[in-house]
Amino acid sequence: MSDPPLVVDDVSVTLGGREVVSNVSLTADRGELVGLIGPNGAGKTTLLRAIRGGVPTTAGEIAVTGQSVSSLSARAIGRRVATVPQETELSFGFSVEQAVAMGRHAHIGRFGTPDETDREAVADALARTSLESLVDRPVTDLSGGERQRVLLARALAQATPVLLLDEPTASLDINHAIRTLETIRSVVDDGTAAVAAIHDLDLAARYCDRLILLADGDVVAAGDPDTVLTSETLADAFDATAVVSQDAVTDTPRVTALPDESASTSDEA
Amino acid sequence: MRVRQRAVTWSLGLTAVLAVAVTLSAGIGPVRIPPATVVKILLNAVSLPAGIELTPLSVAGALQLPLPTLQWQSAVAYPVDQTAETIVMRVRLPRILLAATVGFALAAAGTVMQGFFRNPMADPSIIGVSSGAAVGAVAAIVVPAAIPFGLGLRGAAFLGAVITAFVVYLIATEGGRTPVATLLLAGVAIQAFLGAVIAALQLYSGEGLRAVVHWLMGHLGNAGWDDVTITLLIVPVLFGVLLAYARDLNVLLLGEEAAAGLGVEVERTKRLLLAVSAVLTAAAVAVSGVIGFVGLIVPHMLRLVVGPDHRVLLPAAALGGASFLVITDTVARAGATEIPVGIVTAALGAPFFLYLLRSREVHAL
Repeated sequence: MSDPPLVVDDVSVTLGGREVVSNVSLTADRGELVGLIGPNGAGKTTLLRAIRGGVPTTAGEIAVTGQSVSSLSARAIGRRVATVPQETELSFGFSVEQAVAMGRHAHIGRFGTPDETDREAVADALARTSLESLVDRPVTDLSGGERQRVLLARALAQATPVLLLDEPTASLDINHAIRTLETIRSVVDDGTAAVAAIHDLDLAARYCDRLILLADGDVVAAGDPDTVLTSETLADAFDATAVVSQDAVTDTPRVTALPDESASTSDEA
Repeated sequence: MRVRQRAVTWSLGLTAVLAVAVTLSAGIGPVRIPPATVVKILLNAVSLPAGIELTPLSVAGALQLPLPTLQWQSAVAYPVDQTAETIVMRVRLPRILLAATVGFALAAAGTVMQGFFRNPMADPSIIGVSSGAAVGAVAAIVVPAAIPFGLGLRGAAFLGAVITAFVVYLIATEGGRTPVATLLLAGVAIQAFLGAVIAALQLYSGEGLRAVVHWLMGHLGNAGWDDVTITLLIVPVLFGVLLAYARDLNVLLLGEEAAAGLGVEVERTKRLLLAVSAVLTAAAVAVSGVIGFVGLIVPHMLRLVVGPDHRVLLPAAALGGASFLVITDTVARAGATEIPVGIVTAALGAPFFLYLLRSREVHAL
């Protein structure tokens, strides 16, 4: 069996003199969705940026499809790693189709034009994200949920072995959040290796195969959602009191955060 | 319609508009020449390679090598009035072609700068190119002795423009990164500083003041075939480079972070776009002075019509800028006394742009 498409080995990142990510290791295999969870400022976004070569690492090694990210050109990385950003500038009145087609940039040569493969990838991405009816609409006219879908479609059009998602559901209502995660799940099940920073712990537990809990740049816990999401690890990472129960419907861990004074009662629950 | 088809269709259409504008413009002036005569004169001027002739070339005295040379020959020879032919070929056509080339260069550079800065107020002179050219030109008029190497007015303007752009770039760059916001502010600061230098030079310009003001207002008169040839050699090559980066420019509009994620070598692409636009602008400004408005408004006009995709927009804006400057310069010289073309570009361009702005559903830039 070959190496996983994404291997992060003992990576540290320093930004502005502060170590934001400390000795983090993780892998994502084909068909695997790895969730990055943790409080604000834990280093989730920085780790994702480091994986796609956006920030230099101070220690460790990141390999994508067997090749060190630091040795690859931006174009080569663009063919291996796609990112769904938290938000992006979608101005300038490009149509939905044009915006999604930009995902093919790294696949088209400087003097080339989109070929059949490019058009199929764009059509497939639009179909997966149910954007077909909006192809000619200017992105500036879209709602927040639709814009998020455009960003996801753009990343899917990139057709990369590794997919990174930074809070893909942060600005979405619960219905759109579930639809987005279902789409991501189906893409991952088709063989993509994905790492997603997700705020919502319940959704992370429900959709991710494995979770990595970060706090202050360190890995606090890693593994199955059941083992990562415990009262102890959450108290450690979030400095908050939380009860973890089993959701009756989805049969996945459910986290209920409590105010500090109820800590004693929660222990009995 | 596919992008390439749209780009070709718009380019052909706007080239046709430009051809009509050039033909009509060549007939307008103190001596009216009917368009049909202009067309005949232009066709007479077209030379075609008639064949290859081998001329013997002596090498080292004894050996003779055959040297192939192209034989040029006029394709047609319509009988036309000799005076009209001289007016068109010697006086009007160089000026018209220079207007077309300058308009083409300014509009192309303006389109790239607006995309590059993601700012609708950006224009070709935003990083101080025009101010630098003005300092060079004004210095050449006021203190010609200060200009080294016998560069002359145009050389001094070109050099001033390129040096200024490079200085602004150096000021704004730290650790291999050039944030566009820093670049913008550095450009504004340098422009203000050079504005002071120009004002001071004007104050002590004495008899050169008229020439200084004339240059600063922008002008296309006194254009000769030399100017046309030089700009025609520089502009198309640089434009070709920009066109090759049109798709990168689209992706850069998403922001640098997103562009990097999509596979754009951001800093390298920015450096290249900046350098090419600066030289393109410098070449235009050096021969024509500071003609405002073309590089700011023409890209917006075309963006409203053809949309934001630079693969279509860039050639459309460049060709539109060429026609725009040919038409405005014709207006500028058509009256009893010639008015500086910069006044006409603003006076005609602004109302037309406002009309477009109101008559179409306008999205954010």
